[in-house]
Amino acid sequence: MDLNVCIVGAAGDGVKEAGELAAELFAHFGYSVFVYQEYQSIIRGGHNASIVRMSDREINSHRKYFDLMICLEDYAYELYRPYLRGDLIYDTKFKCGGIGIPMTEIIKEEQEPNIFRNAASLGALAAYLDIEFDILERIFSDRFGARAKDDITIAKAAYEYYRSRYDPKMRLEKIGRRKKLVSGAVAIAEGLISAGLTHFYAYPMTPASPILHYLIKKREIVAYQPESEIAAVGMAIGSAYAGKRSATGTSGGGFALMAESISLAGMAEIPLLVIEAQRTSPSTGMATYHGQEDLYFAMHPAHGEFPMAVACPYSVEEAFYLSAELMNIAWKYQIPAILLTDKNLVESYKTAEIERTNLIEEIEIVKSSEGEYMRYEVTESGISKYAVPPAIVKANSNEHDEFGITTDDASVRTQMHEKRMLKENLLREDIRDRAWKFFLKGKDTIVTWGSTFGPVYEVAEELGYRVAVPRYLRPFIKPGLAHAVVVEQNYTGQLAKLLEMHGVEVKRVNKWDGRPFTPDELRELLG
Amino acid sequence: MKSKIEWCPGCGNFGILKAFRRVIERLESEGVKRGRIVSVAGIGCHGRMPDYLDIPTFHTIHGRVLPLMTGIKLANPELLVSGFSGDGDALNEGMEHFIHAAKRNTDVALFLHNNQVFGLTTGQFTATTPRGKKTRTTPAGNPEWPINPALIALVSGATFIARGFAGNVSQLSDLMYDAIKHRGFAFVEILQPCITFNNTWDYYRENVYVAEPAESFDEALKLVSDGVATGLLFRTEKQTFEETLLNSLRVPKKSCERDMRSREFHSDP
Repeated sequence: MDLNVCIVGAAGDGVKEAGELAAELFAHFGYSVFVYQEYQSIIRGGHNASIVRMSDREINSHRKYFDLMICLEDYAYELYRPYLRGDLIYDTKFKCGGIGIPMTEIIKEEQEPNIFRNAASLGALAAYLDIEFDILERIFSDRFGARAKDDITIAKAAYEYYRSRYDPKMRLEKIGRRKKLVSGAVAIAEGLISAGLTHFYAYPMTPASPILHYLIKKREIVAYQPESEIAAVGMAIGSAYAGKRSATGTSGGGFALMAESISLAGMAEIPLLVIEAQRTSPSTGMATYHGQEDLYFAMHPAHGEFPMAVACPYSVEEAFYLSAELMNIAWKYQIPAILLTDKNLVESYKTAEIERTNLIEEIEIVKSSEGEYMRYEVTESGISKYAVPPAIVKANSNEHDEFGITTDDASVRTQMHEKRMLKENLLREDIRDRAWKFFLKGKDTIVTWGSTFGPVYEVAEELGYRVAVPRYLRPFIKPGLAHAVVVEQNYTGQLAKLLEMHGVEVKRVNKWDGRPFTPDELRELLG
Repeated sequence: MKSKIEWCPGCGNFGILKAFRRVIERLESEGVKRGRIVSVAGIGCHGRMPDYLDIPTFHTIHGRVLPLMTGIKLANPELLVSGFSGDGDALNEGMEHFIHAAKRNTDVALFLHNNQVFGLTTGQFTATTPRGKKTRTTPAGNPEWPINPALIALVSGATFIARGFAGNVSQLSDLMYDAIKHRGFAFVEILQPCITFNNTWDYYRENVYVAEPAESFDEALKLVSDGVATGLLFRTEKQTFEETLLNSLRVPKKSCERDMRSREFHSDP
């Protein structure tokens, strides 16, 4: 079974929440669920869509065409109608053919505001799928607790209305245990916490903000929104200097502001973790839409040469593990580390098993204030022992000697710069075996990165391709490939170009309209 | 770890360094270990301070002294965090951080070396350069009116505002010490002659005077506006940023609570 449901309405209609609750409903029956949220940079009005796909096999994407559309506004209906290939449930306040439910009348009767039509739409959905109402009631209660009463009343009214006039279109059977639903943002945040995050600073920017929203509610984490992205990254560096695992998160524009401080972390050898959640660019682009245009920017974000790690998760589960892995790398090598992700991964929800656990790889930290500490001691590996106050530790953005004292001595500079750069080679060997993930078997290989993996994998399985995904983009490990089809969401083919530089012959498949690839589109392009 | 001092002979920074070294000695004599006294510095002539101090330091990039100090204090409230910044560093590139640090009353002390000129980059105008002054980048005279940093600190919500003079080391040292002891955002503007590009030694020696602290905010507005008034200008009490933020969390906040009970520093645990 594979069902793709689209709920559309205006911003302020509670479309996003309806999508999440529908996803919870499907997850209850043991299905794999993926929710893609499409919305505009508008607080009220416009058009929002929550595309909820469920399947009895593992999925990581939504589909282009809808088996069912639940529509709350007529103009939104017009926009999304071309993709409807099945039934329509709509609010009878406007006219169009399909299953009409008087959602507006129901909420008026209950004297609730317009937003409660989302509860009515869920009631109708439950009836459409022949689900016992108790189950939907429990989904509401789990989400809203005692406040769920009004939602339940309205959903029930819509449910009964449907049953009195229409037949259920299918019957949803339980195929397994209830699955947990997780967003990419939560997976990233939980991954960081598992690797010891205690301090998080971020300035609001779509699509990275949900990470801040989630962490700010955690009482064991110091999370704060300072005056700017520059302040956020500076605070993260300050906290790491004082010995706490810290991070910051932003999107391309904010990342640009952080550039100078990333270079500082490189010179001062401070562990710094930055989440860069890409959206449509350049500049403000389309603030709430998807893109993969920042690969080179993330790989080389700032002036000068310094060792760095850039990693890119391809699924919600992977976002959890890779965030933790990258935090450990930042601390082990005392370098800036960038988690490069994208809107479709961060803001999408998926059924995934993520358990917070201790993933911290401890490093030795000197805290003794006895004597003067050689923070930048030249060692064979290039890694000096980390020290934090009360050790007399001197961090420096200037070139410095082993104690951290400013210098422009040619021989000290030569030695220090080499010491730092050595670490990238060490890191390269460290990640070599986990830099790429390969899936399936096939005559040709599709290479992709980030959330584009979801639709690619699905189609590759059908069409007989092998799939290769880089987890690490820097240090970049050359995959053993002579040629590849490279699928990514930018105009120039950034990953494709990177592979070409490493001698791989590539065929580009690109899209840059702000909407994530769907398997349907890729089937046409790759079939 | 002794470094050769690389300021111009006659630079106001010598007095500031001397004053701060006295603060370290004074805190040590009270049982505070040097490792707990952490200082950050930005870019400019003042940025050399960390090299000359035997305490934990962070020499950061231009304008970013305060975010680092805030991050350090939030990570370890047991540390006594102070920072050195220049007029260009704090008020040109770093202005947003300056206003916001005062606004949130973060528990750190900022020492502003105000010589009204970019010294290290050889004499361009800054946010505090007097109107009409000819500099390398204002050959016809500075067309802008200068900012009064103490006034900005006051109206932004700083709870300790003082002004010292690099030529009065003992007064400056006391002000720095009190600023570090103060719970909340403490700001000390230091009138600092730049011997090479803005030699104000004679002017300050003749004009600075020691004022009595203002009793009210309105009085303080007037007092801080007088750019040659030195000493503690205004002091008030507010909950600090760290107390507010950390008290709502389940994270270590020992030192915040301890400092709230007592003004005095305790020796190291």
